Amino acid sequence: MRTKCGLPEVDVTIDPVEFDGLNAVDVVQALLFVADSPASLSALAEGSGLTDGQIEQALEVLEHHLKQSGPLQLVRLAGGFQLSTKAQFGPAIAHFLKPQRQRMGRSLMEVLAIVAYRQPITAAEVDAVRGVQSDYGLRSLLERRFIQEVGRKTAPGRPVLYGTTQQFLHQFNLNGLGDLPELTTQRVSAEDVVNLSAILPDKLGAL
Amino acid sequence: MTARRELAERGIPALGLISPPPIHVQTPTFEGSLATLFRCVRERRVDLLDIPLFPICEAYFAYLMHGVAQDLDEAAAALAALGYLLERKAWSLLPVIEPEPEFEEPLELPDPTAHEYRAAIEALQFWQQQRSLLFFRSPDMGPDPYELPYTLGNVTIADLALAFERLVHKAIPDLVRPDAKPRKSLEEQMRKVLLALSYQHRSLIELMPESFTRTDAVYWFLSLLELIRLGQVAARKDEDEVRFARS
Repeated sequence: MRTKCGLPEVDVTIDPVEFDGLNAVDVVQALLFVADSPASLSALAEGSGLTDGQIEQALEVLEHHLKQSGPLQLVRLAGGFQLSTKAQFGPAIAHFLKPQRQRMGRSLMEVLAIVAYRQPITAAEVDAVRGVQSDYGLRSLLERRFIQEVGRKTAPGRPVLYGTTQQFLHQFNLNGLGDLPELTTQRVSAEDVVNLSAILPDKLGAL
Repeated sequence: MTARRELAERGIPALGLISPPPIHVQTPTFEGSLATLFRCVRERRVDLLDIPLFPICEAYFAYLMHGVAQDLDEAAAALAALGYLLERKAWSLLPVIEPEPEFEEPLELPDPTAHEYRAAIEALQFWQQQRSLLFFRSPDMGPDPYELPYTLGNVTIADLALAFERLVHKAIPDLVRPDAKPRKSLEEQMRKVLLALSYQHRSLIELMPESFTRTDAVYWFLSLLELIRLGQVAARKDEDEVRFARS
């Protein structure tokens, strides 16, 4: 659910749903304020006593309202909704809180991307895709809780299968694995090989 | 010859090394004398992380306190061995930050296809950077660890150090008890300190009971620091004295 462009004023578009004398938008905002993790639509509905439809409407209004003014925004990630500060306030907040930045190197990102796309996947399969050992990468990603063991493969030795976690979705601002970009494999087709072999002798001869 | 005989009588071998006393160590992973443990650790045949050193230290205290130690050289050898073991264990308990290797060991596998994930890697890097600009109510939501900043007002680290020094100066030395019970937790001490504090600022000496040991002083001071960090205690400097109160 995303706010449509040019959404009219809140009180004109949607009649606020009264819940024990409270405005539904305010109720949803209050619930999101106290939530420590992304709250799903059903959890919000259950917690507030409102219907899924009312929650959806309230979220749409709230998203629009927050977008208009204030330092907070409604984000949809890891399959739920959560309040965060807007990106433009990031540097000021970082200056205040002084977080210890822990950047991930390219090799870790590579392991993570392979697990994200090929999950469930074994360590040996990750090695095969990369052409290098990935023990460090998998261990480090497990420690960061970006991946987890999701089972065992029915193969000799019953190797551990890895998959991504909710934490992974949250830390990369993703709502679900469907948000990952589609990969375009750049493998050379048989036709390309034929064409190339036809051209190559001439090119080599010119040299 | 006489000197060698004298040494032999004192239990000192010809090489001049003095063996530590036969303190017996019995753990699920090692059983033997302190001297054997020392040798095994030096030769990396035993993982010191599996050996609890506290009971060994207790046994050494018992050996000292109960008058078993007749020979100071022998007692000193045991102390040196214990010191070595404690230092080795302390180092091995420190967290080791494993550096991310530049290049991992290549495998002889045909046709790696990692390049197919280039777009995904770039997308993940971009999203991670964007995500680092967002902050949530809970620090657990990350991505990077942080704590809410706290202020000490006009109190500096040097002021706190001076207050602690004065406190330790007034403390009485701890009694050495070989059969000491496990020490109290800092959490328990923090509760006591909170109960002792009021909204009126008082110095550390005023907060303490009339008689206290050096261990008490350390526990009180550490608890105060932790409570300041948690925002439950405020400190301020009046004249030359740091005073504490509930915030």
